[in-house]
Amino acid sequence: MTAITQQRLRGRPAHPPGQTYLTYTPDGKRLITAGSNNAIRIYTTGSDGEPINVDDCQELNTAVVATNDFFAAGSEDGTVCVYSLGTNMLDKVLVRCTLPVRDVALSPDGDWAAVASDELVVKVVNTRDMSRVLYLREQSKPVKHLAFHPSGSYLAVSCSDGLVYVYSLSTEDPQLVKKVDGLIRSLETDEEASSRIIWHPDGTALAAPTATRGTLYCGKYAAALIWASLDIQMISRVDWERQRAFASGHMGDITALAWSPNGALLASAGMDRKLLLWETKTQKIIARYEYPSIVSLVWHPTENILSFTNSDGELFIYTDFVPSEHLNLLKKPLQSAPFIHQTNVREPPVITADHLQRNVRARRGTPDSLDDILGPDMMQDDEDDFIVDDDGAGYAEGVNGHGKRSNEHLDAPGGLVYKRRAMNDSWRPRFHPSFQPGSTPWRGNRKYLCLNLIGCVWTVDQDTHNTITVEFYDREYHRDFHFTDPYLYDKACINDYGTLFSCPPLNGAPAMIFYRPHETWTSRADWRTKLPVGEDVTSISLSDSYVVVTTSTNYVRVFTLYGMPFRVYRQKSSPTVTCASWRDYVLTMGNGPVGGDGKTRLLYTIENIKRDEICQNEDIVALPEGGEVKSVFFSDNGDPCIYDSTGVLLILLHWRSPGQARWVPLLNTNLLDRLAGGRKEESYWPVAVAQDKFHCIILKGGEKYPYFPRPLLSEFDFRIPLSPEVVSLSEGTDEPSGTEATKLEESFVRNSVTLALLEDLIAATTATHFQRSDLVRKELEFDKILLQLLAIECREGEERGAKALEIVGQMRDRSGKMIEAAGKVANRYGRNLLEEKIRELGEKRLVGMDEE
Amino acid sequence: MALPSPPGLTPLEIAFLCEMEMVTVVPRQRLEGLELLGGPTKPLHPPHRTSLPLWLALLLKRQRRANILPPPWFHPTALTSILDFERSNTDQFTPPPPLPPSPPGTATTSPPFLSSSTADAPDGALPYHWLELGEILLDAAPDDIVDPDAVRRLMRDLREVRMAKMRAGVAVLDGSGMVGLKGVGGMEVSEGRAFISGVVDGLRKIGASREQALREREAEEGDDAYEDIAENAGEMDL
Repeated sequence: MTAITQQRLRGRPAHPPGQTYLTYTPDGKRLITAGSNNAIRIYTTGSDGEPINVDDCQELNTAVVATNDFFAAGSEDGTVCVYSLGTNMLDKVLVRCTLPVRDVALSPDGDWAAVASDELVVKVVNTRDMSRVLYLREQSKPVKHLAFHPSGSYLAVSCSDGLVYVYSLSTEDPQLVKKVDGLIRSLETDEEASSRIIWHPDGTALAAPTATRGTLYCGKYAAALIWASLDIQMISRVDWERQRAFASGHMGDITALAWSPNGALLASAGMDRKLLLWETKTQKIIARYEYPSIVSLVWHPTENILSFTNSDGELFIYTDFVPSEHLNLLKKPLQSAPFIHQTNVREPPVITADHLQRNVRARRGTPDSLDDILGPDMMQDDEDDFIVDDDGAGYAEGVNGHGKRSNEHLDAPGGLVYKRRAMNDSWRPRFHPSFQPGSTPWRGNRKYLCLNLIGCVWTVDQDTHNTITVEFYDREYHRDFHFTDPYLYDKACINDYGTLFSCPPLNGAPAMIFYRPHETWTSRADWRTKLPVGEDVTSISLSDSYVVVTTSTNYVRVFTLYGMPFRVYRQKSSPTVTCASWRDYVLTMGNGPVGGDGKTRLLYTIENIKRDEICQNEDIVALPEGGEVKSVFFSDNGDPCIYDSTGVLLILLHWRSPGQARWVPLLNTNLLDRLAGGRKEESYWPVAVAQDKFHCIILKGGEKYPYFPRPLLSEFDFRIPLSPEVVSLSEGTDEPSGTEATKLEESFVRNSVTLALLEDLIAATTATHFQRSDLVRKELEFDKILLQLLAIECREGEERGAKALEIVGQMRDRSGKMIEAAGKVANRYGRNLLEEKIRELGEKRLVGMDEE
Repeated sequence: MALPSPPGLTPLEIAFLCEMEMVTVVPRQRLEGLELLGGPTKPLHPPHRTSLPLWLALLLKRQRRANILPPPWFHPTALTSILDFERSNTDQFTPPPPLPPSPPGTATTSPPFLSSSTADAPDGALPYHWLELGEILLDAAPDDIVDPDAVRRLMRDLREVRMAKMRAGVAVLDGSGMVGLKGVGGMEVSEGRAFISGVVDGLRKIGASREQALREREAEEGDDAYEDIAENAGEMDL
């Protein structure tokens, strides 16, 4: 923050005292001012000579906007007139309103002028053909200010009812995109204070003087609260969440504000006679000036000039406005808007510095070249382009320094994701980044730290600290809690017994683990443990008996639930990716050797911490090419599951015996019935596998992560992908037996998987009575499915006898009852030969002869 | 029981029967399985979904121990498409949900025992108890429903469109015509009963003399034609 810089500037008397407005033409050559008298003045940049006067205009002008060819001025008599810059004469009356015009905004291409008057309707008029008018009617009160998005496809409207209405103009019929409440103050249209919206030049955010509660002292003891627009609040265009604010700069209402052309600086003027220059990135004031009652201020499009007018009708052209020590900020290319968490921001298009000099064209001189014919705006890749490449799909490719399309749209030979950029320097393998299962990235100032079947943990960034809320599904069993978090915890786990948090190293303090049990029979004993300096937490997990932490130095640290360090070892595969745990079992994942696709293989290790045994040692996580692990968790029966980026849920079978583990797909969400029509566009965010169901959150409309309010959990039955998607059952009651057989075959495979899992579990643990009876029940079910399959085979014909016999051979039942029943089925369909064979098989089994 | 009650079930009775419908709930609290006369319920474990009879779900909802998941056909988009179907097909009602292909038990083919209002019900068909179930859900659990105001409006539209169709069907009742009632819900039958049976009775009174004449002639001619008339009368007797 610097002291008041003062270079006394002489105001040029442009107009008689009164509200005076000004604008630059986009090429920066001319500056146009309009005020309370019936003359508009056109100043030429860089010349101190007398301005050109345009005399045949209205009095009491309230707005002026310009393109390189014409300018338009709105006046209190309700007209918006267009003047030619070639002849400096009145060209036409663009639109007539019944009430005073309050603001005029011009779309970046100059084709549309939005006009706000004291009428309720905002008119958007085509400047070439004024019979084409769009009407924006959603607002309930007159509109004070208007602002076009840099792409021209949105219009932000500051209404005098205190709401900001954002319309999308990309369709013929304007659509209200968002009503932003609580951003601006409700100000009358003729008030001096401003509620103007300014879009950040990169288009991802907008800013406005916000309604802040200021304190005004009256008398000695009494204090009165007033509402004043003192701060400038930014809002993201993606999720309309509040972002950074330019706070505590002004002591009076803000009257004018403007971004520098590259968005790196912000100038604001207030009723406190101050003109402030802010740095966007840090929201710090870098220069203060004193100029009273500024009405309107504009930056020169390319040079270091700020011009402003005051209510005395004076014009100030402030050359070298940005102090020389900060001049590099102004020279930078287009800057992205500062967000609280940069993770939710898309990369702004890379625009080099020479793009700011729009006039300099790479190729000139070819007579009738396409550029000359189409004009400067057609071929340029600037932020004024209508197509905004918001998803990076590449339909608005960048133009390189020579005005050609770059070759970035071509895939590098290495893979789909990697672009040529990476190929230039030496080749590097691609790592799987580390992640915390069940968490989401920041969006706005919120994120979920953990979301599972027990409950969820979410945090809100309050600038200096976070507030963490823990909510449970079972409201009776647990009590929700909420606390202020000065350590900025960024990972959490929750289970039935407690909540585990971890925070990254912050301001020299080491990373820390915090465990908070939900309730104990003694007083609650939460504990914190600090990690060694230089170690960051990559993932944490919490089981019924242990706390597991993987760190950036590739250590796996295991603590007991009471904070005792239990084991520390270095993970063999590095860098670590994530971990999960269930009772005594811990699964860790890390990057292994590089695979054929230039990406590291993901390796996992499962071990029993208590017995110090390794179940699976550096085994491969089976992923399809280009696939990533979205989440890893243990099912409620304690089997490891992964959900990958292709939408397949896999479970690990026979994982307790070393070398025997294999990944079995349980569900392919792309083949779900609900997607069969092809109408739905949705993805699934995995939560858990419990009670033989896949619990997930359905995300619609291209969302990647759940957001607030917490969406409902959905559950899907497993369906092993065996055949093309099953025809919907509602199509007819007389379904073909082929479909039925497919269904039965699927349930046969699925049941054999669950049976195998259950058998493993019972063999490895001291099984409860319930588990044993469950096993018997499942075996019976398994045999019943086989019986149904047998019935289908028998119905199909005599020649299917061999297959039928094979089906009977699969039966689990040792008592012979099921085989007897199978014989009866064969008998019912009159397959006597088969019946005989089945009886033979049964007899063999009874005497134990079929062991081959 | 001095007053003779009108024939058929009263709306209250139908609403009572509707409460036997199974709906899906997301419990907020644990509850052991209950041994009820209608069969045991599954134990409730938040946040696992469970199917419960509507009356129990309403009880839990009122005590804030559960959230009711509205059936898929109760979503504004589904109702809109059903309404479109009703409007474009003037001669038939939306067909009822298809019967499950192979019912696990044999007795579960009539409406209260079919799970046509759980979260996995089909979304393009109105079940038998759609009207009363919808009203009950809108009344008891508006916070669990997506856009309850739109749903309320759509339900009203649907009801009016379908009632209009039923009344239009009455026009053909005078002679040998029939009204197809496939897909008509329980409450709608109950509402329409008074009107339709009144119309049919009135028509019968008007046609009484003709019938009398017919009967006399038939007495003369013999008893061949008698059976036809009896059948006609039987059809009209709603």
